[in-house]
Amino acid sequence: MQNRNRGPIKSSMLGAILAAVAVGAVISVSVTRMAGQAPATRSLRTVDDKPNFSGIWQTNNEAHWDLEPHAARPGSVMQEGIYPYPYAKVPAAPVVALGAAAGVPGSLGVVQGDGEIPYTPAAETIKRENSEHWIDRDPELKCYLPGIPRAMYMPYPFKITQSTNKIHMAYAFANAARTIHLDDVERPPDYTYMGHSVGRWEGDTLVVDVDYFNGKNWFDRAGNFHSEALRLEERFTAISPDLIQYDVTIDDSNVFTRPWRISMPLYRRVEPNMQLLEYRCTEFAEEFNYGHLRKEPLVTLWEGETMIVNITRKVPEGDALYDWYRK
Amino acid sequence: MRARILTLVGVGLVVVVGLVGSTQVGLMGQTAGTQADASLRTPWGEPDLQGIWTEEFDTPLERQERYGNREFFTDEEYAEADNERARLLAEQSTGEGDRRSAPGSQNDVAGAYSNAHLSFKHLGRRTSLIVDPPNGRLPALTPEAQALANTEREWRRALLRSTETCELGLRACSGQEYDPTPSPRRDEPAPRYNTGRMNRHDDPEDGAFGDRCLLGHITPSETAFGGNFRRIIQTQGGITMYYDQGQGQGFQRSIVMDGSPHLPETIRQWFGDSRAQWDGDTLVIDVTNFSPKQDFMGSRENLHLVERWTRTGPDTIEYEVTIEDPTVWVQPWIVRQELRKQIEQENRIYYEPRCHEGNYGFPALLKGARLNEEAYAAGTGPHPATFDNATGSGIQRFPGSR
Repeated sequence: MQNRNRGPIKSSMLGAILAAVAVGAVISVSVTRMAGQAPATRSLRTVDDKPNFSGIWQTNNEAHWDLEPHAARPGSVMQEGIYPYPYAKVPAAPVVALGAAAGVPGSLGVVQGDGEIPYTPAAETIKRENSEHWIDRDPELKCYLPGIPRAMYMPYPFKITQSTNKIHMAYAFANAARTIHLDDVERPPDYTYMGHSVGRWEGDTLVVDVDYFNGKNWFDRAGNFHSEALRLEERFTAISPDLIQYDVTIDDSNVFTRPWRISMPLYRRVEPNMQLLEYRCTEFAEEFNYGHLRKEPLVTLWEGETMIVNITRKVPEGDALYDWYRK
Repeated sequence: MRARILTLVGVGLVVVVGLVGSTQVGLMGQTAGTQADASLRTPWGEPDLQGIWTEEFDTPLERQERYGNREFFTDEEYAEADNERARLLAEQSTGEGDRRSAPGSQNDVAGAYSNAHLSFKHLGRRTSLIVDPPNGRLPALTPEAQALANTEREWRRALLRSTETCELGLRACSGQEYDPTPSPRRDEPAPRYNTGRMNRHDDPEDGAFGDRCLLGHITPSETAFGGNFRRIIQTQGGITMYYDQGQGQGFQRSIVMDGSPHLPETIRQWFGDSRAQWDGDTLVIDVTNFSPKQDFMGSRENLHLVERWTRTGPDTIEYEVTIEDPTVWVQPWIVRQELRKQIEQENRIYYEPRCHEGNYGFPALLKGARLNEEAYAAGTGPHPATFDNATGSGIQRFPGSR
């Protein structure tokens, strides 16, 4: 069995050298720890001399809430309190029962440059409406396929299986997956949620072009969105055996005035017993999607020991699914 | 190496198209001998199971008794059985014998499928998927499994008793006597967590898994016309499988290969917990920890599978699975299949469109039930229990019922 365990640094790569200077100490620790971790010892490089990305990964940031810089807020769904100021809103009925667990953590954002997504004026309006109607519009809440890049930074782990002609990414959320084709294959017969991923290696960086989207995905829970014209260039660069720098250039002339870029690290889940568990949310979202169609709806009034929350679901105009069966 | 594999796949397809009858026998003989072929190994030296794989033939789960303990048809038997099957399918597609096709009848518009618009696989060379017990028949159910199945069947039939289906004595009524008074059993919960179609749509849980987009199982689930495609990708010491099943109800299967034990008993999953290791050139996967909601022919949380995946040739994998559940069957049983490699470049495995994102049918079913109730309450419609919204499909989903 071949096992070209050459260590984490390929000396010809300038980027890798710089990275090595920055995180050299971390790498040493990491390699030592891994070496002690029999029986499933993982090579640092594959037989075709690429960084070995196989394993389970996850981001550790707030991008899934909002790609753009944002202060923490008290609720993922908010309403006006006693003041008219936007900064003085309070949690609204759908989340008030969850108290401090329903807030949104702050973040400096992951959008490179000035931190703002360059929407066209018309798209900016749609984005704002999306965020105001988050519960009704966000496809994540319905357990729809998350799309790329969103699947990469949702708060769930994903597993990379790296072969020589394919690299597979399996996401815990919704049992979703994508195959990155390093070889030449036909496109799917129709536009997709998860896109069509074609990859190539540029030195130690995996570069993936993704397109063929159906335009039904969002980027985050803040209403950031795109159209079917979305094209991505993802770059996966090994910083250490347990750290990948993940950069995405996002281009969609229907929605944005220019291409823009997000950047974040992906962290290896290094727990010895780490494995991908299911999050089969098609089932979890049934009450959300269909609960109001029960003969006797379960949720109309929630009574706790100290509060009563009345939850009445009003579906807004313009939701294709609800409009269809309202007829 | 890649070009060579593609050529071999191409040759394989020509053979299949030209000589459906005789190919399989040749392939059967190929087992084991070809495993040493370096082209069937990954660049890192493990047996290469990678690619898109499916069962290209239609094989009944159980063997007809007249074939005794024989795993394969003789050439004469095969020709006769395949022709007879083709004749029956053609008869159905022209309407003669198609029970749904009387124009204007309720059955005429109740089905989502018709034989005229489906292409069916040829019969395979195997007399049955089951190879053990040697007679190719399912082992007997345990008394408790039989009792539970009977209880459930009676309850489902009770929900049909006021429908036209029973009034007309149609087959789908399955012997239930017609009674215009709706059964009081309509208010009972299902005898166990529901997975199938019932003639009641009070709640999402009353929906069949197929209607809820919750089908999908790692057990063999091919149909006579439909595929069950698996994409296998390997890395050194690791493997992953994606299943394209049930018209958009495919799923990712996670497989652990680090030698660790199964998940704790408290963690249950729809697709179980798969622990794999190489046994020589065969990948052996032990699967336990199924969810009590998941169902395979009545087997739920106690289902235990031991799968053996062996690359037997340039475009074949032999798949064997031992199926065990002592609460359901009196003994374990074994299914064997030959999976065929599909052309990589054509990429014909679909992770989407998924059933769930386009599931307009299921909320419509629930909404329809609410509207029927409203109409009945307003005195403008019949009792909701007189509608049959359960038996119209005409497609029997489980391998055992083909």
